[in-house]
Formats: sequence, structure tokens, C-alpha cells
Amino acid sequence: MLPATTRRVERNTSSSLNDQFRHQLTENVSHYIGARRHVIDRRLAELDSEWTIERVIETEAPATIALGITLGILRSPKWFAVSAFAAGMLLLHNIQGWYPLMPLLRRLGFRSQYEIEQERSALRVLRGDHKGYQLSRTH
Amino acid sequence: MIAETATRVQQHTAPRVNEHIQRNARERVCELGGYDRASAIASRLHELDREWDIERVLQTHFAIVSLASLALSTLVGRRWLALALGVPAFMLQHAFQGWCPSLPVFRRIGFRTSKEIAEERFALKALRGDFNDALQSGDADDLLRAVKS
Repeated sequence: MLPATTRRVERNTSSSLNDQFRHQLTENVSHYIGARRHVIDRRLAELDSEWTIERVIETEAPATIALGITLGILRSPKWFAVSAFAAGMLLLHNIQGWYPLMPLLRRLGFRSQYEIEQERSALRVLRGDHKGYQLSRTH
Repeated sequence: MIAETATRVQQHTAPRVNEHIQRNARERVCELGGYDRASAIASRLHELDREWDIERVLQTHFAIVSLASLALSTLVGRRWLALALGVPAFMLQHAFQGWCPSLPVFRRIGFRTSKEIAEERFALKALRGDFNDALQSGDADDLLRAVKS
């Protein structure tokens, strides 16, 4: 069974690390309760440029694949196995969720897209964005 | 040139396609106004959690083309190595800049960025009134619970 897109990273992170990420998220958000609008705006812009774990994987995986092919051409075709392994792991990550470098990347602090979206939504509520949706429904 | 993570796909999608995706989401949210809106919103939110975003689709696509081109270059001929090298090159371009050759196709099919999906989730939760109590309590945990549930 395929895991939900929003859950696949957290499902493949140890519970103690997930607790740390959750704790950090609460801390980040509580910092902005009662903050001025432009301070929240600045944080939202930061979130837009934060590298998600998916983007890091999309950088690391092709680098490994390209390295394997280059070595396969220059040294020995055995190196193609490295490329095939890296591509296989990328497929596994997208279908099942697990990825060999996940524990390392999570320990380095890279967040899933969903974790960042949670912070973004919380900040948008603090900014009052949700009130607009309720008003637009009434007419 | 390194583009913003959250908007790099939209930056490299035709404006018309971006608008089409946004309009579709807006219409879906408005249509949920019928009877039994609460359960319609709940089931739509569940669907959104399961929706494959553009990153998941592209990564799967890259992995499959990579494996296929590697297999072809060992079984058929070394010429296929050109494709096998092209795939990781475009994957890197997508990671850093946003564009890749298959992006326009997948965007036209309607695959969305995680930010676009989160936008619809936020609208549905706002309509359901999820955020009102959380905001009153002024507690970060309550707020995050409302955002997540």
C-alpha cells in the first residue's frame, strides 16, 4: 500500500527525531504569536526558500547516478550498478517512503514539505488569512 | 541560479496552466457548499493527503527513466548512455532551477506543487471554521493541532 504523500517522510523518521521536529515547530510558531504583520511576512518568505528534504534528495540522487555513469564509462561498467542502485532507491522512496539517506538528512534538520506547510498555515492563521475565506463564502 | 523551493515549479509553468490549476481548486472548494458540507470537506481533506504532488511524480518518473536507460545501455548499446546521463542532468536542473523537460507535460495533466495542495487544505479548513477556536486560545500547540488535523 502506498503511504500518503504528506506522511511518508515522518513515517520513516525515528519517533525521537519526529518529537524534536514537532517541538521545534511549536517553538517557531509560538515565537510569532502576537507578532506584527511584516514580521510574519518575512518568516513566510523564508519558508518559501527553505530546502525541503525532497529537494535535497533531488540533488543528491542525480549526483550519485551521474557519478556512477561517469565512472562506468571511464573505469569499469561495474560502476553502473551504483547508478542503478541510486535510481532504485529513489523509486523506493517515492513508492514506499523509505530512503537510505533519510536518517542522515533528518538528523541534519531537513524538513518534509508537509512540516513546512504546517508552519506556513499556522502563520497564515496568525496573520488572519482564514477570515477572508469565511467572508467570501457568504456572498 | 538557485530558485525558491516553494515556487520554482510555478515559475516554470505557463501562466495559463498555473491559472487553470488555481481556478480548478477554487471551483472545487466552492462546490463543497452543498448539503452535508462537513463530511464533504472531511473526505476532500483526506484525498488531499493522498494526492501525489509534482515532486513525487517527477522523482518517480526520473527513477524509472534512469533505470530503463541504464538497462538499455547495458543490453542494447552504449548509445543509450547519452539518455542515462541526460536524466540526472535534468533532475539537477529541476532541483536547482525548477524546470525540466517533462515538467510542462505533468503540469498540464494537473499535478500540483505541495504549496498549491496546502492552499486548498487551508481554504477548506478555514471554511469549516477549524482555526477560530485555536486562534482564541492563543496557544501554538492548539494552532498546530488545528492546522494538522
